[in-house]
Amino acid sequence: MSGRSDADPAAAPGPSGPVRIRVVQGSKTYQGVHAIEAVDFDVLNGEIHGLVGENGAGKSTLCKAMAGVVQLTSGWIELDGKPQVFASPAEALKAGITMVFQETSLVPTMTVAQNIYLGYEPAFTSIRRVVIRAQQILQSMGFHVDPSSVVARLSAAQKQMVEIARAVYHESRIIIFDEPTATLTPEEKQHFFALMEKLKRQGVAVIFISHAIEESLDFADRITVLRDGRKVITAPTASLTREAIVRHMVGRELAAANEIPDAAAGKKRGRKVLSVENVIMGEVVKNTSFSVFAGEITCMAGLIGSGRTEVMKIVAGALKRNLLFGGMIYLDGPPVRDRVPAQAVRDGIVYITEDRKLNGFFELMSIGENIYFGWLAAQARAWVARRSTLAAITEEWLKRLSIRALSADARVNELSGGNQQKVVIAKSLVQKPKLAIFDEPTRGVDVGAIAEIHAFIRHLADEGVAVVVISSYLPEVLKLADRVLVVRQGRVVVEFAGQDATEERIMFAAVH
Amino acid sequence: MVGLAKEARARHGTLAASLTQERIVFGLTIVALAVFSLLLPGFFSRQNLLNLARNVSVLGIVATGLAIVVIGRGIDLSGTAIMAVGAAWAVTLSAGGTPETLALLLGLGLVVLMGVANGLLVAFIEIPPIFVTLATGLLIFGIGQFVLIRTLIVHLPASASFMPLLGQSKIAGVPIQILVAAVVMILAHLFLKYLRWGRFTFAQGDNIETARLTGIKVRPLLVGQYVLAAVIAYVGGILLAGANPTFSISVASAGMMYDVILVVVLGGVSLGGGSGGMSSVLAGTLLIGTLINGMTIMDVSEQWQSLVKGFVLLLAIVLDSALHPRDEETTRQNDI
Repeated sequence: MSGRSDADPAAAPGPSGPVRIRVVQGSKTYQGVHAIEAVDFDVLNGEIHGLVGENGAGKSTLCKAMAGVVQLTSGWIELDGKPQVFASPAEALKAGITMVFQETSLVPTMTVAQNIYLGYEPAFTSIRRVVIRAQQILQSMGFHVDPSSVVARLSAAQKQMVEIARAVYHESRIIIFDEPTATLTPEEKQHFFALMEKLKRQGVAVIFISHAIEESLDFADRITVLRDGRKVITAPTASLTREAIVRHMVGRELAAANEIPDAAAGKKRGRKVLSVENVIMGEVVKNTSFSVFAGEITCMAGLIGSGRTEVMKIVAGALKRNLLFGGMIYLDGPPVRDRVPAQAVRDGIVYITEDRKLNGFFELMSIGENIYFGWLAAQARAWVARRSTLAAITEEWLKRLSIRALSADARVNELSGGNQQKVVIAKSLVQKPKLAIFDEPTRGVDVGAIAEIHAFIRHLADEGVAVVVISSYLPEVLKLADRVLVVRQGRVVVEFAGQDATEERIMFAAVH
Repeated sequence: MVGLAKEARARHGTLAASLTQERIVFGLTIVALAVFSLLLPGFFSRQNLLNLARNVSVLGIVATGLAIVVIGRGIDLSGTAIMAVGAAWAVTLSAGGTPETLALLLGLGLVVLMGVANGLLVAFIEIPPIFVTLATGLLIFGIGQFVLIRTLIVHLPASASFMPLLGQSKIAGVPIQILVAAVVMILAHLFLKYLRWGRFTFAQGDNIETARLTGIKVRPLLVGQYVLAAVIAYVGGILLAGANPTFSISVASAGMMYDVILVVVLGGVSLGGGSGGMSSVLAGTLLIGTLINGMTIMDVSEQWQSLVKGFVLLLAIVLDSALHPRDEETTRQNDI
């Protein structure tokens, strides 16, 4: 730790050390399309470098090139001033570069300790010693994960922690974090940022990709903004503001769509659409009760693992509550027991998944087919698939959700995160639900599309649909909610009217 | 935006990109046909070509059933056992005095039951289909051999008229076997392309959990696929039983299942599910038919024929991978 920065904490921590890694005129093309184009990028010793940009801007590609996961089409990489070629992640790892991936790259059937050591086991492994060492690493970062538990049983946040622990164990000199905080709870985030500072003080070069611009502003020394595969700017954080970054990211001022009129105040409550009474599912959902009303956005806040997703999945027929004394669910009056999503869809309940890559869309199918399958599944009597219906439905929904795609025949895979999410939403909303459940509707979605999706959700509620939004991102909850339900340990513990909710109140209820 | 799309497509629309595995296999078939026609006198005659098609029509039919299951991301290794036992039982019943129509209907009932058993085990007990059908295939063969038929070889009774008609007659010189195979393939094509449950089969093969959350009833769909595969295999079995005076159920154990899988995979029906179609099956069937026919005329031994078949399969797959390299942006996470 240098005395200089201690003496004058207000001064912008100007990055000083020599350049650790530099990308010179880096380009990478996929089938003729530039993912990144002539990008110059460098990171210094002991620097936290924030990398921001919309989805598809090329952040991940740039980092993957540095980590040896992909090879640049043109341009080169210099490590400590010397040109380097990494033919594989293993070579990059040997040179001290670790990338912590967005999609976790852990082996699900192995224990936490084994995963941390993966690929670096000594010839004769003492399980006890491995576990103890893993425990030490995890403890030093304030992560509460049992090193002997199997990775498949961990939550998303815990998996992320193991990934980070693995990077630390490798004592890498350059660590690239791809969206590390997306799945962490606020408390875990604090630990993570403290850890990042610690790595920085040890002289590690940290590259940090995040959608939450505030995180980069708070913790990065310098920030690089990418847009459409090109570098827009690299500047010391002190010289940037949130607005400036957003402007660089989207290349324009955000449309007024960002500001949704606060409809909560003074609006008359619609009819009660959903009433959940004493629903129980094992140890995950414990005797919870709440209601959802038409024309309202009901946000469900709570920590990851609190059971908020599970309770809504029960409502949508994707999970089953306890067979005996499992509680009651009423939809528009009469009780319903949807055993499979198909029944729930018929009853007018749709669940829009939190993990679109895992179970959100059909990746081999076109955009049009994806949306059409949603429609077809809801039409019990449509025995024949018709291209004309497909075309009409696709056209309507591409327009309604302003999905930007090269064509309706393009595969969903080829779209940006925001447009993928819109397709997933369209696929469910084409089923004309009276209750729409959005689980993390803007996870991994770029800022421009977030505003559009929010506006659309609000519009949906205004049309009289009962909307439930499950979200870990509190600004989103505060922006959308007419009502906030906070879930803790498997039950709804408190309810706020939209205007009464604050981040502090929600967090207090969620963790207390 | 649309202009951009065209531009991107134009850049993509090179020869290499348009060469799917299916087209490669069609191409190989034509090459093989040309080579054999030049080398073998009498190969390129109407009689021989009809012979060629007739010899693979049963294979093509059973492969059609399997293809439907594979598109739904399953596999049915019990196909040939169902085919043989179902048809042989119908023959046995008929030889025992049951009217032929009734015997055929009973046989149909039996194979439907077998398909339902496969489907229930896969859909509700959630056992991987490869294990389920491996086990039920052996089980069905054993039950057929020791309980239902009690012999390996059954004799077509003289009273039977429908089965020999299907297996042996011709319309305008074309064996009915070929026509039946064509009808089965066309019906399967229409099912996969245009019917609700056919489209859902692709959806389910693509991502079963997405299909479930979308509101597709995946369990009945799964059961339906295995029943369909069983019934289609049964049609093939009847053709086979009707073709000759005697019919041995040991065809099921003589590596025919391997040929069926070969045909399906060769044409480009991905074992990963969600892709392929009847044109893939047709391509695979024709290539295998041509090779077997040509090599048989050349008097190539069975062992060498297997070797060539294996080589061709490998060639088709390698060519496909070479023409369509998968970078990490397009790789499916759950690729087999």
